Amino acid sequence: MRRILKPAVFALMGLLPAGAQADMKTIIENTVQDQILPGYQALHNHAQSLALATASHCAASDPDLRDAWGGMMDAWTRVSHLRFGPSEVDGRAFAIAFWPDPRSKTAKALNQILTDLDPSVGTPEEFAEVSVAARGLYALEFLLYDPAYADQATPEYRCALIRAIANGLVETSAVILGDWEAEYADQMLNPTETGAWRSEEEVFRELFKALSTGLQFTAETRIGRPLGTFDRPRPRRAELRRSDRSRHQVIVALEELSELAALLSADHPEIAARFAAEFEAALGHAANPDDPVFASVDEISGRLKVEILQQSVERLREILVMELGPAMGVGIGFNALDGD
Amino acid sequence: MKSLILATSALALTAGAALADGHAVSKSDVLTNYANIAHAKYEDSLLTARVLGDAVDALIAIPSAENLEAAKEAWLAARVPYQQTEVYRFGNAAVDDWEGKVNAWPLDEGLIDYVGTAYGGPTDENELAALNVIANPTFSLSGAEIDASAITPALLEGTLHEADGVEANVATGYHAIEFLLWGQDNNGTDHGAGDRSWTDYAAGNVCTGGNCDRRGEYLKAATDLLISDLEFMTAEWADGGEARGTVLGDEDAGIVAMLTGMGSLSYGEQAGERMKLGVLLNDPEEEHDCFSDNTHNSHYYDGLGVQNVYLGEYVRVNGELVSGASLADLVSHEDAALDAEMQSKLSTTMLALGRIKTAAEAGFSYDQMLAQGNEAGEALIMGGVNGLVDQTQSIERVVAVLGLDGIEFEGSDSLDNPGSVFE
Repeated sequence: MRRILKPAVFALMGLLPAGAQADMKTIIENTVQDQILPGYQALHNHAQSLALATASHCAASDPDLRDAWGGMMDAWTRVSHLRFGPSEVDGRAFAIAFWPDPRSKTAKALNQILTDLDPSVGTPEEFAEVSVAARGLYALEFLLYDPAYADQATPEYRCALIRAIANGLVETSAVILGDWEAEYADQMLNPTETGAWRSEEEVFRELFKALSTGLQFTAETRIGRPLGTFDRPRPRRAELRRSDRSRHQVIVALEELSELAALLSADHPEIAARFAAEFEAALGHAANPDDPVFASVDEISGRLKVEILQQSVERLREILVMELGPAMGVGIGFNALDGD
Repeated sequence: MKSLILATSALALTAGAALADGHAVSKSDVLTNYANIAHAKYEDSLLTARVLGDAVDALIAIPSAENLEAAKEAWLAARVPYQQTEVYRFGNAAVDDWEGKVNAWPLDEGLIDYVGTAYGGPTDENELAALNVIANPTFSLSGAEIDASAITPALLEGTLHEADGVEANVATGYHAIEFLLWGQDNNGTDHGAGDRSWTDYAAGNVCTGGNCDRRGEYLKAATDLLISDLEFMTAEWADGGEARGTVLGDEDAGIVAMLTGMGSLSYGEQAGERMKLGVLLNDPEEEHDCFSDNTHNSHYYDGLGVQNVYLGEYVRVNGELVSGASLADLVSHEDAALDAEMQSKLSTTMLALGRIKTAAEAGFSYDQMLAQGNEAGEALIMGGVNGLVDQTQSIERVVAVLGLDGIEFEGSDSLDNPGSVFE
């Protein structure tokens, strides 16, 4: 019934461009080939660079090590909204990046490991069983930037832990990339009744949800957590504040999401133009090098600027849900951010 | 309220098509049955909470091991109907705005009572994590001195609950009561629940843990509050109640609320937040009912609630079956194959959640399943997670087949007010 109804709906809305069905396939192909696969390839490359860096530079404050970590952090942020497929298997996404962490699991898990001199760091198979809170890029940030960890255990043990995390990231990023290349890219490009997606519409809905998830996470979590409430701002909850990257994360995420938005709205130039203008505005609001960790959320003028940035990201999601969704005939569905 | 943005033209057409066919059940009948089941579930929750209240009164009047066990049993029984209501949370603003008072979790239990040394003190996230109000008749909160000499429902609800804007400051509801009955579970990922002694409620020098009278006062206040909160929600779904009126007032929005509850509970909440994270963190604190080790039942009855909504049926605590027109009827009329798929996925999930429950009841408790390297436990839990994730995909297909896919399910605040887009 839905197939019969759809043209009528679009006719009513006056939004269906000629040949939209064929173009959906092109959109999917472009997104998979130009964004998803290169994104996971870059993630894996950066993981290898990071592991290489830990092999020769293991002091937490080493600039080469920190650069390599930052490179992989950026690469992860660029795929972090793709919450489906290989990254969701066996908790791989959490093993790369466990954040937000409202119950301080990362600090607790690292303290436990460093206190116990946990021997699992010596064996990749055993380290893969350790809590995800201690295994990913956010745990590495604690080890590289938080002075509280700079003299726990011994330098040799800390180094072994940093290397174990980096090697685990190589492994995890490799299996994600491998699954995409072996199977998932093909499933997205050629949906079948028995595959993960049954139709191009279902594939498109997945990509649409990914963009929605990325925008929602940026607005509510990356920006919203430090904002807290007017009466109780929470600057200490800012993402990666130890490495001064909280605002940088928002910028990297918006840059990547703007490319995805352009890909998904390729059939609707007017919507694409509105996206482009609003992304430019959001990135303009995001650029404020004087406040890298949203520390200003507890004073009025600084807070206002961060709120304006958040509203700008929320407007992007409104364009997605209110304009692109109806134009392409897809709804937002459910995502991992539902719930408490 | 959580956002419900409708593609109105699509909905209008769908409704028209359904009405043209005499065999379709009406959305109104489906929604009436949904509201009837909600009322039955909250009323059952209320009735079983009153039984718990009587058991708590008995424990406080005559502290004894037997009376503590009786109160625990009453708590466990009360959870059975309540967990089946959780599917009403997402999508029904009346429930979502209220449920934090009743079922908030996880909690920094040191706010309420004494805890072990491994618990630690105040954290970055929560300065009140170790407040221990039972031991402290006065304390300072955000610079103000608080008089807690009398522990009343008003103190718990108005001052302590979510104090300092921290969600982990859970002072009310099932889990606060659970902590007061069982105490901390200090067994880590080994077998065993909390082991509070009945003497924590004893008078005179038999009292253990200190401040036994204030502990009893807290338990009584929290139980009374739970009962009055459940009275409120039962009335919300009775004839003339606001939650019922909202659902019946806009048929398409009502159907959306049903599906939103099913999808959001299945995926983001239960599969993600409650089940998968616990496995990935190997952390028994991630257990939903961590003091009583009742998590297997919590998960099972949450899943059953989702299935209840789709099939339009619920078995009451007295055995009576409430049933009527269902989402399954609506879907099978549009697409019989999808209805079969949806029913099959819901059954698969219940089988997987049933495996967790039976293993736990046979002695392999949920916290053991979370232990690092416990492959059998991980497989059991991930079986439930996979079933819930998989059924969510079918719920999305149901949304599409019913022509409701212009909907925003759980959105940002700005999307809660669609009008703001056009300002």
